[in-house]
Amino acid sequence: MNPCAVPTQRPDVDGDERWICIHRRFLSECREKDPDVIFLGDCVLETLQDSETWNQYFAPLHCLNFSIRGDRTENVLWRVENGELDNVKPKIVVLHVGTNNTENSAEQIAEGIVEIVHRIRSKLPDTYIVLPTLLPRGQLPNKLREKNEKVNQIVKEKTIGLNQVQTVCIGKGLLQTDNTISHHDMFDYKNLTNSGAKKAFEPVHDLLSQILNENEPEKDLTPSE
Amino acid sequence: MKMVLSQRQREELNQAIADYLGSSGYSETLDVFRKEADVSTENEKKFNGLLEKKWTSVIRLQKKVMELEAKLSEAEKEVIEGAPTKAKRSPGEWIPRPPEKFSLTGHRASITRVAFHPIFGLMVSSSEDATIKVWDFETGEYERSLKGHTDSVQDVAFDAQGKFLVSCSADLSIKLWDFQQSYECVKTMHGHDHNVSSVAFVPAGDYVISASRDKTIKMWEVATGYCVKTYTGHREWVRMVRVHVDGSIFASCSNDHCIRIWLTNTKDCKVELRDHDHTVECIAWAPELSTAAINEGTGADNKKGHHQGPFLASGSRDKTIRVWDVGAGICLFTLNGHDNWVRGLSFHPGGKYLISSSDDKTIRVWDLRNKRCMKTLYAHQHFCTSVDFHKTHPFVISGSVDQTVKVWECR
Repeated sequence: MNPCAVPTQRPDVDGDERWICIHRRFLSECREKDPDVIFLGDCVLETLQDSETWNQYFAPLHCLNFSIRGDRTENVLWRVENGELDNVKPKIVVLHVGTNNTENSAEQIAEGIVEIVHRIRSKLPDTYIVLPTLLPRGQLPNKLREKNEKVNQIVKEKTIGLNQVQTVCIGKGLLQTDNTISHHDMFDYKNLTNSGAKKAFEPVHDLLSQILNENEPEKDLTPSE
Repeated sequence: MKMVLSQRQREELNQAIADYLGSSGYSETLDVFRKEADVSTENEKKFNGLLEKKWTSVIRLQKKVMELEAKLSEAEKEVIEGAPTKAKRSPGEWIPRPPEKFSLTGHRASITRVAFHPIFGLMVSSSEDATIKVWDFETGEYERSLKGHTDSVQDVAFDAQGKFLVSCSADLSIKLWDFQQSYECVKTMHGHDHNVSSVAFVPAGDYVISASRDKTIKMWEVATGYCVKTYTGHREWVRMVRVHVDGSIFASCSNDHCIRIWLTNTKDCKVELRDHDHTVECIAWAPELSTAAINEGTGADNKKGHHQGPFLASGSRDKTIRVWDVGAGICLFTLNGHDNWVRGLSFHPGGKYLISSSDDKTIRVWDLRNKRCMKTLYAHQHFCTSVDFHKTHPFVISGSVDQTVKVWECR
């Protein structure tokens, strides 16, 4: 059995039940709000909402962010199965998870991600699913970076034929010429700073606004001379 | 518009196209293209994704240019035409002008609604932090907080004399607050099965009407707190309910894209107004004084096709505002301009203008006669959720997801 694809609650290691409380808060937000876009995932998306990029680009799109620091594919799967996408009809779900499944293999992680995609699809048949690639991590090249790269490859292959599912490569601008990652882009070499978030998530924003505005009459944007 | 590329630009464009063809896997086309356009096979790094980047960034830049041009022309107009001096301003013409008089902070979450007290120099704001706050809009002072709800407060409304305030919340309850002495909750009413999104008093003040995500509208007797009627018909979340000034009809709007007009006494839906193609967020009844301006806006021959009304304005997530003749059941005209959901509407007491607030962070003043936006206020740093116009004093208030409430003076 692939542990990445089995819905699992996060063990309450600290003993303060934070994880399940956050989950409950998400459920109540579902009841109250009516988002066009839901972000679902781990620390990368969670820290994104503290950035300028979030305020400037994503907040105006009517987003909710259901991301929890440290979550793994099986935890997100559990949250999806337990109500976080009930009561809502978003046009887009943005999913970034897998970088915390450190001891699983790339194949297992990819399978977990694809399983989440299928679960989202069965709950929301008409919703667009956008998959930003897993970000590289660590200041220097390392095994986990390679693994994330491999996960991205497998996920891309597996989702290529699926309707309304799209991967977006977001890691490109973060690697410097010597393949190191700057702390100006990722403060802990895993999560994004303001400038890192802008580099990485601008393509995601472009895609989201294109999808959201697809059915609107096109405006003539040619500047007047 | 004829564009000429320089030699160098043409080469770069060819490189970018080659890169696009290569990265998209159009290898045969790429080979032919390389041959025909004489592009070298080594791909420089700076052309990676260049074509896509230009494709998206050009649109973004043009949007930005248009935004800036609009802002500039607005600023120029303000400088050249200026606002009338205090002495010259007349109640029929005054409109809110920047900068804001007060920016009031204190709420710990998004503001959901703002409303003026009908008599005193007070206003209230409701918030997702589960409280209602009372402010003095003339001095900008914080007066008090009304606590009792356990979840987001969605809407608040005063009765005509301002003796009671009614509020509704995601905690499924509706609460009545005494505004004469105690400022305490005097009654709590339960009955909806889901988030209660809106409340309003009937003009006589003896009943309250509420709308909910449970798709129903309910009427409550103030004296007893009992639910006396349930109005069904909407197919989705009911967003807002507003009672006409004569009390015999009220309007509701919903996620089902429709507006319904109901007969207060019979539970019957009088008419269903459809034209919006997204959730209708807000509605406002036009005052009697608007009749002339709306008729002129419609372009109707005033002797022959004179519209009697009553008139209703609606704001929607389709970014438009529509003005309806409820008596005839038709949409008279549409106001376009907001770049995001329209969240709040309030008629100018003089009847010539309509004020709207939107998720594009602006407040706009619409000239009904000419059906155009005559002023845009860049009001808040986040979605502007609600707006209210004082019936007699020159003030407008607004609330936002940025957790501030702003007071705007009219000139």
